[in-house]
Amino acid sequence: MASVTLRGIEKRYGDNLVIKGVDLDVDDGQFVVFVGPSGCGKSTLLRMIAGLEDISAGSLELGGKPCNDVEPARRGIAMVFQSYALYPHMTVAENMGFALKLAKVPKAEIAQRVERAAAILQIGHLLERKPKALSGGQRQRVAIGRAIVRKPEVFLFDEPLSNLDAALRAQTRVELAHLHRELGSTMIYVTHDQVEAMTLGQKIVVFNGGRIEQVGTPLELYERPANLFVAGFLGSPRMNFIPATLAGEEGATAAVRLPDGSVAEVAADVARARVGATLTLGIRPEHLRIVGEAGHGAIAATVGLVEYLGDVVLVHLQVPGVDGMLAAKVGTGGATPAVGSRVGLRFDAGQAYLFDEAGLAFAPSRTRETLQAGQTAGIQ
Amino acid sequence: MERPRIPLATAAASPPRENLPALALLAPFLIAFLLFFLVPAVETFWLSLTESSLTRTSAFVGLENYATLVQDTSFWDALGNTFYFALLTVIPLTAIGLVMALLVNRFVAAQGWLQGVFFLPFVLPISVMTLIADWMLQPSSGVINHILGIQRPWLADPTWALPAVAIGTVWWTVGFNMLLFLAGLRNIPAEQYEAAALDGARGWKLFANITWPALRPVTVTCLILQVIASLKVFGQTYILTSGGPFNTTRVTLHYMYETAFTQSDAGYAAAIAMAFVAVVILLSLLQVWIVRWLEKRES
Amino acid sequence: MNGKSNLGWTVIGAASAVLLAALWAAPLLWALSTALRPELETVSADFHWLPQTWTLDAFARTLGAGNLLRWLFNSALVALSVTVVTMAISLMAAYAFSQLRFRGRSLLFGLAMLAFLLPFEALLVPLFRTMNQLGMINSYAGIVLPQVVSPVVIYVFKQFFDGIPADFREAAVMDGAGPLRVLWSVYLPISGNIVWAMAIVTFIAAWNNFLWPFIIVTSNDMMTIPLGLTQTYDAFGVRYAQLMAAALLGALPVALAYVLFQKKVTQGFLAASGLKG
Repeated sequence: MASVTLRGIEKRYGDNLVIKGVDLDVDDGQFVVFVGPSGCGKSTLLRMIAGLEDISAGSLELGGKPCNDVEPARRGIAMVFQSYALYPHMTVAENMGFALKLAKVPKAEIAQRVERAAAILQIGHLLERKPKALSGGQRQRVAIGRAIVRKPEVFLFDEPLSNLDAALRAQTRVELAHLHRELGSTMIYVTHDQVEAMTLGQKIVVFNGGRIEQVGTPLELYERPANLFVAGFLGSPRMNFIPATLAGEEGATAAVRLPDGSVAEVAADVARARVGATLTLGIRPEHLRIVGEAGHGAIAATVGLVEYLGDVVLVHLQVPGVDGMLAAKVGTGGATPAVGSRVGLRFDAGQAYLFDEAGLAFAPSRTRETLQAGQTAGIQ
Repeated sequence: MERPRIPLATAAASPPRENLPALALLAPFLIAFLLFFLVPAVETFWLSLTESSLTRTSAFVGLENYATLVQDTSFWDALGNTFYFALLTVIPLTAIGLVMALLVNRFVAAQGWLQGVFFLPFVLPISVMTLIADWMLQPSSGVINHILGIQRPWLADPTWALPAVAIGTVWWTVGFNMLLFLAGLRNIPAEQYEAAALDGARGWKLFANITWPALRPVTVTCLILQVIASLKVFGQTYILTSGGPFNTTRVTLHYMYETAFTQSDAGYAAAIAMAFVAVVILLSLLQVWIVRWLEKRES
Repeated sequence: MNGKSNLGWTVIGAASAVLLAALWAAPLLWALSTALRPELETVSADFHWLPQTWTLDAFARTLGAGNLLRWLFNSALVALSVTVVTMAISLMAAYAFSQLRFRGRSLLFGLAMLAFLLPFEALLVPLFRTMNQLGMINSYAGIVLPQVVSPVVIYVFKQFFDGIPADFREAAVMDGAGPLRVLWSVYLPISGNIVWAMAIVTFIAAWNNFLWPFIIVTSNDMMTIPLGLTQTYDAFGVRYAQLMAAALLGALPVALAYVLFQKKVTQGFLAASGLKG
């Protein structure tokens, strides 16, 4: 069993509490992604699981066995470092076989396992080369191969794609997903890139300031963010946030007053809030529709900037009462409004979100499920 | 694409405590350090407060050795000789080292050879230098006297013995200073020279305004190292002149050696050693302060 | 000086370079010239720069009489031992100071660096007494042991290890390597250059060490080259050709080390003085 269980994990540097109590379950064979901004503690947590950092408080169990003080090499894990950490004076084959050599595995078996891992990663022809003679993508495969050879229970990845260029990154992402399917091992993957998180993770853990903000599948996190942070973190361009006040509640929809005075409807359950409370309305760029003019429920806006991305057009709009610009994603067919033109913005009640003063999301009302049925959550 | 921040092994990371392996790795050094540095260091201090021979330790006499030291003209003469030697060697060693570095830096094509010729003496044992120096300084068959056309017995002449040893020392050790200055020269960014060239600076102006100011830290380091090294002189004067003629080349360490090993007065020798260390530390501090004061005066 | 210099400066510079080089090479060349001539010629009133009669007689006699070969052997043994032991204990200590977290780390390192402040010369008397008590006077161990304490080498290695990215060590730890193994299999190969540089410099310093062997050695047979060469007057009398031959032979190993490894030697000495090469 290659499960990972974290209970009440804390990490202190002197007086500084950087990991503030983490509880998490990773099931056998799952691909879990730790994602969050720099400094949120995701790498520190990974290193604590690896045994490279002390655990200040809490318990870590690997496969059901407590592992707080077990040496890294005895935890049944292997790690792929961000910088790959390939030993520069050893050949690829020696790099991959080093751990086995230390464990006094017979040479024949080492050779066999190295060859098998090399075959999986298609680096068989590189076995006699030294790291400095390899490209970035090749080095990364060697780093992964080094982990595979050890047949660990859990794979740990520390931002493995961040040193690759964009094209290689996309390609490697696909290969990593394929690798997981083939090996079926538990994998914990740390990244700050939400695209990698959404595409690779079966379960995503969003970190911020040493705490877990939310855990769930990519779809859950994208469509049901628990708070402002998660809502604004996943999805690019970021979800639009409009300050609003609660005007009233009508059955299954909430009515909110927007800065320009207009009232919008959101399919959220606001029973726990009072009328007049300060809220934040969230609406994703792909759900914001641009119409010819304001009025009749459409918010007044001025086009500030238009970006053509080839497959989609991003229109940035200025809305009175809102800091910064709102973004709307528009298809390439049809006319795009000119910069400076005044337009109106509409959205569906079932696609908008409401967050309270503390940033917590309001639960969707019953009508939301029906409204959202059949919608595909578009990314990018 | 950003370069990833590769974490260095600083105190910010806190892997599990590794006391036992650390002890194992440090043990050999620590034992040697204890036996051959720490204990002798403490013992020097303690010996200086006793009256001891080279093989036995005797009565505790407090500061008596130091009282004797203060009145000891031989000690002060030896100290004076040491300072005189420092005076004779520090400036030439620094200046010639600088000139050599400038030349090696300038004539890049011959660099390996030039650097080699200047530095080779430094890697030679002291007795090679003394043998050759003694031969060259021979009154009748020595090549120096042949070139100068005189018969002077350099090493037997009270006025010339120490200067002769000093000149030999310059030949022997200047290579190291050249290395220091070379490193300093190579650290001057090329852009400074290019900018100066565009401003029309040439030759001497270039040196005075760009090179020399940039070399100041190295020059200071060099001077400090030279002063300390010349205070520690012993081998050359012992081998070439045995401290003579008439003790004109008997330096502080030589006096200490004689006291300890010829007169078997370990306690007094230890007092000399402590005084010697005090002088070295004081002079180093003095130099550092002078440098800081000069720098402050400038800004 | 970098940049454009006018012709005048170049000529002065070139002339100075030639002059200085000649001056600096002269003593060794003159020693060679002396060593290659018959003894009588060295003291004859008729002065010649080059030998009138070329002969290897002086070298042959030097190797035969006296104890030169014995001294060369002693020096080689001592210098090699000092180098190997110093490198071993310094690498281990530097690795511990650099990469391991343990109680008292900064204190111990500070203490070790304290040795910079106190010159070796001040410790001669107590060291001699200690060696006497240990029965190591006039022995190889006695000559070698005090020389293996080298804060400079530890400092240089520690600085270098500090600059190696921690990832390599962590990867090795995850592969199951203990501290000694990490040092041997990962840090040592990566540090190849600097280790060689410091090893050669340590070798040269040990070969050339005069003061300590002078204190601890009491018999002619145990002398190292620097010591032995001062005994040559007794061995050969005032025979300058032989004396020069002895000097040159004694200088040969270290001179060779320099000529072969010029870059490393330069690097090593610079590192030891705290500057970058």
